Amino acid sequence: MSIDTTTTGGGLRGWARDLGMGVRFAVGGGREGWIRTLLTALGVGLGVLLLLGAASIPTMMETRTQRGQARLPMEMESEALAPSAATLVEAEADTEFRGDPVRGKLLRPDGDQAPTPPGVSALPGPGEMVVSPALRELLGSPEGRLLRERLHFKDVGTITQPGLIGPGELLYYAGSATLTTDDGGWRIARFGTLVKSDPLDPLLLTLLIVGCVVLLMPVALFIATAVRFGGERRDRRLAALRLIGADARATRRMAAGEALFGAVCGLLVGAGLFVVARQFVGDVTVWDINAFPSDVTPVPGLAALVLLAVPVSAIGVTLFALRRVSIEPLGVARDSAGRRRRLWWRLPFPVAGLALMLLNGRVSGRDAEVNPYLVAGGAALLLVGVTLLLPWAVDAAVARFRGGPVPWQLAVRRLQLSGGAAARAVSGITVAVAGAIALQLFFSAIQGDFMKITGQDQSRAQLRTMLPSHDIGAIRKMISEFHATEGVRGVIASIGSSARRPGPLRKGEEFRPGTLVSVGDCPSLSELAHTGPCKDGDVFVVKDSTGTVDEDDITEVARPGATVDFAGDDGRSGPPPHPRLWTIPMSARTIEARKDPTGQAVFGLMATPGSLDLKLLERPTARAMVKIDPRVPDAVEHVRNTAARIDPQTRVFTLQNTARDKQFTSLRTGLLAAATAMLALIAASMLVTMLEQLRERRRLLSVLVAFGTRRATLAWSVLWQTAVPVALGLALAVAGGAGLGLALLRMAGKTAFDWSVVWPLTAAGGALVLVVTLLSLPPLWRLMRPDGLRTE
Amino acid sequence: MTPAGSLLEARALHKAYGPTPALDGADFAIHPGEVVAVMGPSGSGKSTLLHCLAGIIRPDSGSVRYGTHTLTGLSDARCSALRRTDFGFVFQFGQLVPELTCLENVALPLRLNGTKRKDAERQARDWLARLEVDGVAAKRPGEISGGQGQRVAVARALATRPRVIFADEPTGALDSLNGERVLTLLTDAARDTDAAVVLVTHESRVAAYADREIVVRDGIARETAGAA
Repeated sequence: MSIDTTTTGGGLRGWARDLGMGVRFAVGGGREGWIRTLLTALGVGLGVLLLLGAASIPTMMETRTQRGQARLPMEMESEALAPSAATLVEAEADTEFRGDPVRGKLLRPDGDQAPTPPGVSALPGPGEMVVSPALRELLGSPEGRLLRERLHFKDVGTITQPGLIGPGELLYYAGSATLTTDDGGWRIARFGTLVKSDPLDPLLLTLLIVGCVVLLMPVALFIATAVRFGGERRDRRLAALRLIGADARATRRMAAGEALFGAVCGLLVGAGLFVVARQFVGDVTVWDINAFPSDVTPVPGLAALVLLAVPVSAIGVTLFALRRVSIEPLGVARDSAGRRRRLWWRLPFPVAGLALMLLNGRVSGRDAEVNPYLVAGGAALLLVGVTLLLPWAVDAAVARFRGGPVPWQLAVRRLQLSGGAAARAVSGITVAVAGAIALQLFFSAIQGDFMKITGQDQSRAQLRTMLPSHDIGAIRKMISEFHATEGVRGVIASIGSSARRPGPLRKGEEFRPGTLVSVGDCPSLSELAHTGPCKDGDVFVVKDSTGTVDEDDITEVARPGATVDFAGDDGRSGPPPHPRLWTIPMSARTIEARKDPTGQAVFGLMATPGSLDLKLLERPTARAMVKIDPRVPDAVEHVRNTAARIDPQTRVFTLQNTARDKQFTSLRTGLLAAATAMLALIAASMLVTMLEQLRERRRLLSVLVAFGTRRATLAWSVLWQTAVPVALGLALAVAGGAGLGLALLRMAGKTAFDWSVVWPLTAAGGALVLVVTLLSLPPLWRLMRPDGLRTE
Repeated sequence: MTPAGSLLEARALHKAYGPTPALDGADFAIHPGEVVAVMGPSGSGKSTLLHCLAGIIRPDSGSVRYGTHTLTGLSDARCSALRRTDFGFVFQFGQLVPELTCLENVALPLRLNGTKRKDAERQARDWLARLEVDGVAAKRPGEISGGQGQRVAVARALATRPRVIFADEPTGALDSLNGERVLTLLTDAARDTDAAVVLVTHESRVAAYADREIVVRDGIARETAGAA
């Protein structure tokens, strides 16, 4: 008699047959099977959603950059462009509204063939503008009332996607009848220029690599957790298959087939969620970033990698999970019971990770080399090590727990029996917090390198502005209008020009020595120099105490009793044809300069309006620093409106004590946006995991309810079951995050370790778990029904 | 039928799950120390009747009176408290908390009632000994046989010295030898403590341990002659 051993057949055919059978079990598993598949698909789907989102980032960045560059004016640097039918004059007219940048340009075509910016079908005429949809919406809303006053042009068209970086961008192009190259405009023949971006600083590159690893690791963990949903029921089903003749290997492959089906469903769910979420991506702005749906397109190679890696890892994870499970015809035995988790093979992972990272050496300095494989591999190994250490830590800790009230006992005993499942459930948050701690430590340590003290003093003035006009009447009007603006407490205003030594050039001179002249009232001048007592009619010679300018020039030109010429050099060797001479009064006092609120020291000549005929000044410019009343709402916007009313090209800047490097800021913003998305995913995935665990215990919950167990008892038990591994996980996360952070700091050549960034993240991780636990209580109440007792 | 001195009394119980009636009229009383078998084929409504009697589910109409309490009028919290203190339960399978040891499982209802852990475990140990499974006290349910598990479950049901024990197919997953031993221990212990037993079964062999039988067919419960 021969025995048919076909089920033991390996090879590709055997694999295909058993995987296919597993898929059939998953499909034909009835309502219970479909619920399990649905939960798996949801868990995997959420991970796939984030992976596809991450795979779209390169496309998003590229398309945004391309559109940004396509609308940059092609300015001729070396020679002025002659006006023609195909040119136009453009000037920046950017502004800001309640902290959001509003980008704008004034356009005046020279002829009927003038180029149009991308996304604009026709140039707006004088007094007209075309706007982005987001700006139109803002201008049409009650919130945009103050901005409407500023952008008072007639809305005649829409800027479409090719002209916008993102759907939420506030952008306008306004037509002008008077704009010239003399008052700040540039003549251009076309839009679109290729700006070579600076290579990323090695420190930032390191940060980017570690950020990617940190953000993607929890996703991988969640996918691995989701494909293990329903494991206990599946094992019982596989035992029944063993009874009818399937061998151990075949049952494992069938289990892999079931997981494969769940993973493929998850891919479909994830792809579906991605397609749906993509449609709404334009409505969402995270950390000032938003994108058009078409920008969120995965890079084909990365998308293919996701499509391939998810099912393959589902099979791998299932086979790995079953390595200690013995599926026998009469039941399932787990030989992990009684076997302690070992530390010796887990510890080398984080140690090797640290070593790899440190192998890269220092990354401080522009020329430092960053080996992305070493850094990414090291960070990944370290974080994998944290997840491997977590089950051991949970086992080691809960083994010592004894006694306690009933909820505590129920929770602790469950953890003692199956701490691995609990550790798996929280491993995602552990890795996420560890990674976030490391990144924040790194950010905190290196931000000094990317932040400079501007020297600006916000306590003395909050805004500064410069009027492009050189007309003295307009300048006087500007100053008086700022004074009259709602919410303005004071204006530090000065009219500036230059003063030169009169007469021809002397031997060896290329230009006549000169110095600055500033005219302002006494209160304004006292903000620019240590004037002491001051009255209208006074004149001061201001020495530069900072040593940034040559004192000799000031001394030679600006002396009491000396005559100065306000006419500028025009590049010829002779004196100017029409000198504008003025004699400095003998009463002029010599004083020290003082840094103004923008941090600049003004020196040379300072005069009050009564001492000098302003008409003598050539090409005067006006500077104003505005003090606003913090109690007046939108005082800043009122000032901007005044500035725009005076001249649309008037730029108003906010004074800042510090300024951050743009690359650093955008990277930090990007990582924060991605971290926010990841935390949302973690919360959703944890909830799905918890629901799945509760569902597996439905019958037991019903029995406990039957003999009178209070809801609170079970709720506390669920909370403890989550809280204990989470507490251990967070402790491990702090250790792992600090380890990774220290390695990064060492690479950056930093020693400052800022513990203050650790605790908020740890608390956020804890709070997230608490929220998820609270969200899982309503389903718990629903599962605490007698339905679970029904066996027929 | 409302005989004097009854402990548990059902009146005109009706219960439906959606359009399907599970219980379509039940009137009977159970006295202290009495073992009553609820018999009927699968899907006849036996378990629904047991769940209604124990206050686990509320009937759509009719009432259940326990002593001076009308269960159908009690809040969920009061019903739960009553189940903790006065009722005990034995089910067919899946009733022991897998993470707890057998001793802790038996002590669980006592602890839920507020008994201190050591005292609860001492009492639990006595009941395990009485049910002849004191050797498995430190083991978890997954490490013992089905028969031992059911004895542990009976010990747990008796640990609080309940006045009524509800047993739903308590021997359904056991071989006949083990099943008989479990039933003997359950009914003997119940009689010793003067507890009533409501024994749901579809096996006449099991019903033979009862003082009388209630047959449920198509949701209608009817009392038959006793068979003790």
